[in-house]
Amino acid sequence: MRYLMLHCIDETATFDPAEDPGVPGSAAAQAMDAWVHEMEGTGVKQYGGHLRPAGEAVTVRVRDGAVLVSDGPFAETKEQIAGFDLLECAGRDAALEVAARHPTARIGTFELRPLP
Amino acid sequence: MKYMLLICVAEDLQLSPAEGAEMERATQAWVTEMESRGVRLQGAPLRSVSDATTVRSRGGEVLISDGPFAETKEQIGGFDILECTDLDEAIEVAAKHPVARIGTIEVRPFWRDEDEN
Repeated sequence: MRYLMLHCIDETATFDPAEDPGVPGSAAAQAMDAWVHEMEGTGVKQYGGHLRPAGEAVTVRVRDGAVLVSDGPFAETKEQIAGFDLLECAGRDAALEVAARHPTARIGTFELRPLP
Repeated sequence: MKYMLLICVAEDLQLSPAEGAEMERATQAWVTEMESRGVRLQGAPLRSVSDATTVRSRGGEVLISDGPFAETKEQIGGFDILECTDLDEAIEVAAKHPVARIGTIEVRPFWRDEDEN
């Protein structure tokens, strides 16, 4: 069963540097490296990426044949998507366990979405 | 440059069976075109947001909730990963996606040196 794991973080918040996986060399960054190494090694993590800040997002719509491009993300929410992983897990419980062990779970939110 | 497309539609949008079938056909045609152009690397639809779960860990306790991370009118219904020359090309590719006509497509650049696959 495949899951998309969206990493959602409040970009305006200030975190304890030790808890922030975005701070190079921090305990959280080391924990994230270990998580990635383990999940790639076991085939759970199939793909992933870190996204530039939501302020660099653009949205695209087409209405009546006209392309409308706007700056900013599709939804003005407190937490924004900062990255994602594509996971292959036995089921929902396994996916939840994998997400809970990622250090970003302590400062942000993961949204897990099953693929069809 | 890699880009993520978040394909967003209002969850309560009702398409007739014929419109739904046409949207599916047009989306498949877009996938075929963008893969043959070499710009689409990955992507998938997602099951309904009613199957979403959020996970947080606070004070050593794992908190699991049903539903998406944000209660917004439009929700993410799929994603695509693109390899494009620049943002203009990513916007051009996004505008050709049939869901751009009924929803919203968010285009997000990757951090260049943190690309993973």
